[in-house]
Amino acid sequence: MKYILLMSGTKAGVETYHAWSKQDMEAHMAVLHRINKELTASGEFVTTQGLTEPREATVVRGEKNGVPVTDGIFPESKEFLLGYWIVDVATPERAYVIAGQISAAPGPGGVPTNMPIEVRRFATYEPKPK
Amino acid sequence: MKYILMMSGKKSDFEGYATWSKEDLRANVAFMRAFSKELKDSGVFVSTEGLGWPSEARLVRAGANGEPVTDGVFPESKEFLAGYWIIDVDSPEQAYKIAARASQAPSPGGKPANMPIEVRPVLSGHADLGI
Repeated sequence: MKYILLMSGTKAGVETYHAWSKQDMEAHMAVLHRINKELTASGEFVTTQGLTEPREATVVRGEKNGVPVTDGIFPESKEFLLGYWIVDVATPERAYVIAGQISAAPGPGGVPTNMPIEVRRFATYEPKPK
Repeated sequence: MKYILMMSGKKSDFEGYATWSKEDLRANVAFMRAFSKELKDSGVFVSTEGLGWPSEARLVRAGANGEPVTDGVFPESKEFLAGYWIIDVDSPEQAYKIAARASQAPSPGGKPANMPIEVRPVLSGHADLGI
Protein backbone atom coordinates (compact mmCIF):
# COMPACT_ATOMS: atom_id res chain seq x y z
CA MET A 1 0.00 0.00 0.00
CA LYS A 2 1.30 3.40 -0.90
CA TYR A 3 1.16 6.18 1.65
CA ILE A 4 2.16 9.81 1.40
CA LEU A 5 3.71 11.52 4.43
CA LEU A 6 3.04 15.24 4.23
CA MET A 7 5.03 17.90 6.06
CA SER A 8 3.25 21.25 6.19
CA GLY A 9 3.61 24.58 7.92
CA THR A 10 2.33 28.14 8.03
CA LYS A 11 4.33 31.00 6.49
CA ALA A 12 5.37 32.10 10.00
CA GLY A 13 6.44 28.56 10.83
CA VAL A 14 8.55 28.32 7.69
CA GLU A 15 10.25 31.64 8.50
CA THR A 16 11.57 30.23 11.78
CA TYR A 17 13.77 27.86 9.71
CA HIS A 18 15.76 30.83 8.49
CA ALA A 19 16.89 31.39 12.08
CA TRP A 20 18.39 27.89 12.37
CA SER A 21 22.19 27.75 12.47
CA LYS A 22 23.96 26.02 9.62
CA GLN A 23 25.00 23.28 12.02
CA ASP A 24 21.40 22.64 13.15
CA MET A 25 20.23 22.58 9.54
CA GLU A 26 22.94 20.10 8.59
CA ALA A 27 22.14 17.84 11.55
CA HIS A 28 18.45 17.90 10.54
CA MET A 29 19.19 17.10 6.90
CA ALA A 30 21.61 14.32 7.89
CA VAL A 31 18.78 12.54 9.72
CA LEU A 32 16.40 12.96 6.79
CA HIS A 33 19.06 11.58 4.44
CA ARG A 34 19.59 8.62 6.78
CA ILE A 35 15.83 7.90 6.81
CA ASN A 36 15.75 8.00 2.98
CA LYS A 37 18.69 5.59 2.88
CA GLU A 38 17.03 3.20 5.32
CA LEU A 39 13.76 3.28 3.36
CA THR A 40 15.65 2.60 0.14
CA ALA A 41 17.46 -0.35 1.76
CA SER A 42 14.16 -1.81 3.05
CA GLY A 43 12.55 -1.40 -0.39
CA GLU A 44 9.84 0.95 0.96
CA PHE A 45 11.09 4.15 -0.61
CA VAL A 46 9.11 5.47 -3.58
CA THR A 47 10.02 9.14 -3.78
CA THR A 48 10.49 12.32 -1.80
CA GLN A 49 10.11 15.91 -2.88
CA GLY A 50 10.60 19.30 -1.25
CA LEU A 51 8.60 22.33 -2.32
CA THR A 52 9.81 25.92 -2.60
CA GLU A 53 8.80 28.48 0.03
CA PRO A 54 5.18 29.58 0.50
CA ARG A 55 5.95 33.04 -0.93
CA GLU A 56 6.28 31.36 -4.33
CA ALA A 57 2.77 29.89 -4.07
CA THR A 58 0.03 31.01 -6.44
CA VAL A 59 -3.60 29.95 -6.56
CA VAL A 60 -5.27 29.54 -9.93
CA ARG A 61 -9.05 29.53 -10.35
CA GLY A 62 -10.32 28.98 -13.89
CA GLU A 63 -9.63 31.52 -16.59
CA LYS A 64 -10.99 34.72 -18.03
CA ASN A 65 -10.68 35.39 -21.77
CA GLY A 66 -8.25 32.50 -22.00
CA VAL A 67 -6.00 33.88 -19.24
CA PRO A 68 -5.62 31.99 -15.93
CA VAL A 69 -7.00 33.86 -12.92
CA THR A 70 -4.14 33.91 -10.38
CA ASP A 71 -3.95 35.06 -6.79
CA GLY A 72 -1.05 35.05 -4.34
CA ILE A 73 -2.84 36.10 -1.15
CA PHE A 74 -3.44 33.43 1.47
CA PRO A 75 -4.90 33.54 4.98
CA GLU A 76 -2.23 33.63 7.73
CA SER A 77 -3.48 30.28 9.01
CA LYS A 78 -2.92 28.58 5.64
CA GLU A 79 -0.88 25.40 5.96
CA PHE A 80 1.54 25.12 3.06
CA LEU A 81 2.92 21.79 1.96
CA LEU A 82 6.68 21.89 2.53
CA GLY A 83 7.56 18.46 1.28
CA TYR A 84 6.54 14.84 1.18
CA TRP A 85 7.70 11.25 1.17
CA ILE A 86 5.92 8.45 -0.64
CA VAL A 87 6.44 5.00 0.86
CA ASP A 88 5.20 1.57 -0.12
CA VAL A 89 4.53 -0.31 3.11
CA ALA A 90 2.67 -3.39 4.31
CA THR A 91 0.52 -1.67 6.94
CA PRO A 92 -0.62 1.81 7.98
CA GLU A 93 1.20 1.23 11.30
CA ARG A 94 4.50 0.97 9.44
CA ALA A 95 3.71 4.29 7.70
CA TYR A 96 3.10 5.83 11.15
CA VAL A 97 6.47 4.54 12.42
CA ILE A 98 8.27 6.18 9.49
CA ALA A 99 6.31 9.41 10.02
CA GLY A 100 7.34 9.29 13.70
CA GLN A 101 11.02 9.04 12.69
CA ILE A 102 10.65 12.07 10.43
CA SER A 103 8.84 13.95 13.20
CA ALA A 104 11.72 13.13 15.57
CA ALA A 105 14.36 14.69 13.27
CA PRO A 106 16.41 17.19 15.26
CA GLY A 107 15.70 20.92 15.34
CA PRO A 108 17.83 23.69 16.89
CA GLY A 109 20.13 22.38 19.60
CA GLY A 110 19.36 18.79 18.59
CA VAL A 111 15.88 18.86 20.15
CA PRO A 112 13.39 16.82 18.04
CA THR A 113 11.12 19.14 16.06
CA ASN A 114 8.10 16.92 16.79
CA MET A 115 6.60 18.35 13.66
CA PRO A 116 3.21 16.84 12.82
CA ILE A 117 3.37 14.63 9.73
CA GLU A 118 0.09 13.91 7.98
CA VAL A 119 -0.21 10.34 6.73
CA ARG A 120 -2.56 9.55 3.86
CA ARG A 121 -3.17 6.50 1.77
CA PHE A 122 -3.11 6.83 -2.00
CA ALA A 123 -6.39 6.28 -3.77
CA THR A 124 -5.95 3.37 -6.12
CA TYR A 125 -8.05 3.07 -9.19
CA GLU A 126 -8.50 -0.01 -11.33
CA PRO A 127 -6.54 0.65 -14.49
CA LYS A 128 -8.91 0.98 -17.42
CA PRO A 129 -8.37 -1.64 -20.14
CA LYS A 130 -6.88 0.01 -23.23
CA MET B 1 11.22 23.91 -14.14
CA LYS B 2 9.09 21.52 -12.17
CA TYR B 3 5.84 22.69 -10.63
CA ILE B 4 3.32 20.94 -8.42
CA LEU B 5 -0.39 21.66 -8.91
CA MET B 6 -2.34 20.85 -5.77
CA MET B 7 -6.04 20.33 -5.40
CA SER B 8 -7.28 20.56 -1.80
CA GLY B 9 -10.55 20.74 0.06
CA LYS B 10 -12.20 20.65 3.44
CA LYS B 11 -13.87 17.51 4.75
CA SER B 12 -17.23 19.08 3.83
CA ASP B 13 -16.05 19.57 0.23
CA PHE B 14 -15.18 15.89 0.01
CA GLU B 15 -18.59 15.01 1.43
CA GLY B 16 -20.22 17.18 -1.23
CA TYR B 17 -18.31 15.29 -3.89
CA ALA B 18 -19.73 12.02 -2.51
CA THR B 19 -23.28 13.24 -3.33
CA TRP B 20 -22.55 13.78 -7.06
CA SER B 21 -24.53 11.62 -9.46
CA LYS B 22 -22.75 8.76 -11.15
CA GLU B 23 -23.02 10.61 -14.43
CA ASP B 24 -21.42 13.76 -13.03
CA LEU B 25 -18.61 11.72 -11.44
CA ARG B 26 -18.02 9.91 -14.70
CA ALA B 27 -17.77 13.20 -16.60
CA ASN B 28 -15.27 14.50 -14.03
CA VAL B 29 -13.12 11.36 -14.17
CA ALA B 30 -13.23 11.38 -17.99
CA PHE B 31 -11.99 14.97 -17.91
CA MET B 32 -9.15 14.05 -15.53
CA ARG B 33 -8.09 11.14 -17.74
CA ALA B 34 -8.12 13.32 -20.87
CA PHE B 35 -6.22 16.03 -18.97
CA SER B 36 -3.46 13.58 -17.92
CA LYS B 37 -3.24 12.32 -21.48
CA GLU B 38 -2.91 15.88 -22.80
CA LEU B 39 -0.07 16.52 -20.34
CA LYS B 40 1.65 13.31 -21.41
CA ASP B 41 1.20 14.04 -25.12
CA SER B 42 2.65 17.53 -24.71
CA GLY B 43 5.68 16.16 -22.83
CA VAL B 44 5.17 18.10 -19.58
CA PHE B 45 3.79 15.26 -17.44
CA VAL B 46 5.89 14.04 -14.51
CA SER B 47 3.39 12.37 -12.17
CA THR B 48 -0.09 12.56 -10.70
CA GLU B 49 -1.65 10.97 -7.64
CA GLY B 50 -5.00 11.00 -5.91
CA LEU B 51 -5.15 10.65 -2.13
CA GLY B 52 -7.49 8.62 0.06
CA TRP B 53 -10.27 10.40 1.91
CA PRO B 54 -9.67 12.75 4.85
CA SER B 55 -11.44 10.28 7.17
CA GLU B 56 -8.34 8.10 6.78
CA ALA B 57 -5.88 10.92 7.47
CA ARG B 58 -3.72 10.72 10.60
CA LEU B 59 -1.29 13.18 12.11
CA VAL B 60 1.83 11.57 13.49
CA ARG B 61 4.26 13.07 15.97
CA ALA B 62 7.24 11.39 17.60
CA GLY B 63 6.68 10.39 21.23
CA ALA B 64 9.29 10.63 23.99
CA ASN B 65 11.02 7.44 22.81
CA GLY B 66 10.59 8.14 19.12
CA GLU B 67 7.43 6.01 18.93
CA PRO B 68 4.67 7.31 16.65
CA VAL B 69 1.82 9.13 18.40
CA THR B 70 -1.17 9.29 16.04
CA ASP B 71 -4.10 11.66 16.04
CA GLY B 72 -7.07 11.73 13.69
CA VAL B 73 -8.77 14.91 14.89
CA PHE B 74 -8.47 17.93 12.63
CA PRO B 75 -10.00 21.42 12.77
CA GLU B 76 -13.05 21.84 10.50
CA SER B 77 -11.16 24.46 8.50
CA LYS B 78 -8.33 22.03 7.67
CA GLU B 79 -7.60 21.83 3.97
CA PHE B 80 -6.83 18.27 2.93
CA LEU B 81 -4.79 17.53 -0.16
CA ALA B 82 -7.05 15.66 -2.59
CA GLY B 83 -4.51 15.07 -5.33
CA TYR B 84 -1.73 16.64 -7.32
CA TRP B 85 0.05 16.82 -10.64
CA ILE B 86 3.75 17.46 -11.14
CA ILE B 87 4.64 19.01 -14.47
CA ASP B 88 7.89 20.10 -16.09
CA VAL B 89 7.36 23.36 -17.97
CA ASP B 90 9.38 26.31 -19.27
CA SER B 91 7.67 29.10 -17.33
CA PRO B 92 5.36 29.74 -14.38
CA GLU B 93 2.82 31.13 -16.88
CA GLN B 94 2.61 27.77 -18.57
CA ALA B 95 2.06 26.15 -15.15
CA TYR B 96 -0.77 28.63 -14.40
CA LYS B 97 -2.37 27.89 -17.75
CA ILE B 98 -2.36 24.18 -17.05
CA ALA B 99 -3.68 24.79 -13.52
CA ALA B 100 -6.54 26.82 -15.02
CA ARG B 101 -7.43 23.83 -17.17
CA ALA B 102 -7.49 21.56 -14.10
CA SER B 103 -9.55 24.16 -12.24
CA GLN B 104 -12.24 23.92 -14.90
CA ALA B 105 -12.89 20.21 -14.50
CA PRO B 106 -16.65 19.69 -14.74
CA SER B 107 -18.83 19.70 -11.62
CA PRO B 108 -22.52 18.65 -11.38
CA GLY B 109 -24.46 19.54 -14.51
CA GLY B 110 -21.19 19.94 -16.45
CA LYS B 111 -20.45 23.39 -15.00
CA PRO B 112 -16.71 24.12 -14.54
CA ALA B 113 -15.87 23.54 -10.86
CA ASN B 114 -13.46 26.52 -10.86
CA MET B 115 -11.76 24.95 -7.89
CA PRO B 116 -8.62 26.62 -6.59
CA ILE B 117 -5.40 24.94 -7.68
CA GLU B 118 -2.27 25.88 -5.75
CA VAL B 119 0.85 26.12 -7.91
CA ARG B 120 4.36 25.87 -6.42
CA PRO B 121 7.78 25.22 -7.90
CA VAL B 122 9.32 22.08 -6.41
CA LEU B 123 12.90 22.07 -5.15
CA SER B 124 15.38 20.67 -7.61
CA GLY B 125 17.88 19.98 -4.85
CA HIS B 126 19.15 21.10 -1.50
CA ALA B 127 21.00 23.95 -3.20
CA ASP B 128 17.61 25.67 -3.28
CA LEU B 129 17.58 25.62 0.53
CA GLY B 130 20.94 27.37 0.67
CA ILE B 131 22.69 24.44 2.37
